[in-house]
Amino acid sequence: MISLHGTVEVGSFSRGLSIDVGSEIVGMFGANGSGKTSVLRTIAGLCPLGEGELEIDGVTVDAPAKHLFVQPELRNIGMVFQDHSLFPFMTAVDNAAFPLQMRGMKRVAARKLAAEMLEQFGVANVALQMAPTLSGGQSQRVAIVRALIGSPSAVLLDEPLSAIDEESRESVRNQIREHLVRLGVSAIVVSHDRAELDHLCTRIENYTR
Amino acid sequence: MNSVSSRTPRFVRIGALLGVVFLALPVVGLLKRVAWSTLCRQLTDVATRDALRISLYASVCATVLALVLGLPLAWCLARMQFSGRRFVRALVLLPMVLPPVVGGVALLGAYGKSNGLLGGLLNSLFGIQLTYSLWGVIIAEAFVALPFLVLSLEGGLRSIDVKYEESAAVMGATDITRFMRVTLPLLKPSLVAGLMLAWARALGEFGATITFAGNIQGRTQTAPLAVYTMLESNPEGAYALSFLLVAVSVGLLVGLRDRWIGGSS
Repeated sequence: MISLHGTVEVGSFSRGLSIDVGSEIVGMFGANGSGKTSVLRTIAGLCPLGEGELEIDGVTVDAPAKHLFVQPELRNIGMVFQDHSLFPFMTAVDNAAFPLQMRGMKRVAARKLAAEMLEQFGVANVALQMAPTLSGGQSQRVAIVRALIGSPSAVLLDEPLSAIDEESRESVRNQIREHLVRLGVSAIVVSHDRAELDHLCTRIENYTR
Repeated sequence: MNSVSSRTPRFVRIGALLGVVFLALPVVGLLKRVAWSTLCRQLTDVATRDALRISLYASVCATVLALVLGLPLAWCLARMQFSGRRFVRALVLLPMVLPPVVGGVALLGAYGKSNGLLGGLLNSLFGIQLTYSLWGVIIAEAFVALPFLVLSLEGGLRSIDVKYEESAAVMGATDITRFMRVTLPLLKPSLVAGLMLAWARALGEFGATITFAGNIQGRTQTAPLAVYTMLESNPEGAYALSFLLVAVSVGLLVGLRDRWIGGSS
């Protein structure tokens, strides 16, 4: 459960937001520059909340008035970044295994699980390729695996299908939905493509400026 | 037909050629003076071996010391906004522009046995003497090598996109894990280049070392100091040792070729 009531800093301005996300996939629709990514960054703990309160799974993680701020590494969030942000010095499978290793799993076991999940997302063939050699679509699939693999409490997806070609989009979308439903977590998907959100999400929030 | 911009004027070519000759002539002159038939004997002479041993040991220790002090400094300069940042950067660069002998005099003022700000205290409380000791050599070398490492690391840290560290944090990586698993691999090229430069600077250090640590054979006499001393008593040995130092420098340039001298183009 994500509960955000307050103001989010979006570059030089801030805007108010009130959103509650249960075990569902909420789409956040809005034009470029409207601050959708800033909302995700605030929930992830990469930007502090301007004012108000943010709760994840019933725990307050950001409340400026109470001088409370929980660091991102303690929030147990899975996130797909808009530019994927795969580590360039690692292979695809090592990138995907990273969250598991951060949760204390041994490297061999983490890589095995990561390889299985890469296969589900159709990128097992590039598992041993270094991240910079992946195509946009392959890189995005690895980023999706990386966000879902560590059993996070909440999943944030920033334009998660933008680099995936039309033919594979539906299958990747179904995989994402299946995993999110199985995890039973709160998920927020940000996109400027309304049709994409309609296909993937259970509810849409309009976030135009 | 060449375009105007790709045509190099004749006076530029002549100037460049003179520059190459100016740089190459001393190296050729040095190689010409090396007594190749006795090279091995000269390099295994007791004084030379002592100097090489001290040089190697002190320069490696100085590089490690520069790393321990330089990495946090570079981090703060690259990533933090604080008052006095420009002053700290100027301070870091100071040993680079300071005449090395003056650096040695400054080190005496700080760590000198009797009158040094800290040296006097160390000596009276713990009986530790830094001047005229191997530690003195290490400190003098670290003092002049530190700026090279800090500059390289600061540049490297600035060029790293923080998005990788941010994504690692979201995935649960703590500060130290982020540094070890993400920042360090991204920093590796700058770190290697900085370490090699700092080590080379430490290995070639002369002025600050002779002023602060002296020139005692078997104790503080490094290879450059031995070359200077041997020029009077044993010129053949001086040239042999100089040749070895040139070879090390060339090896270093080869190691750094991709970074600074364009390996392929």
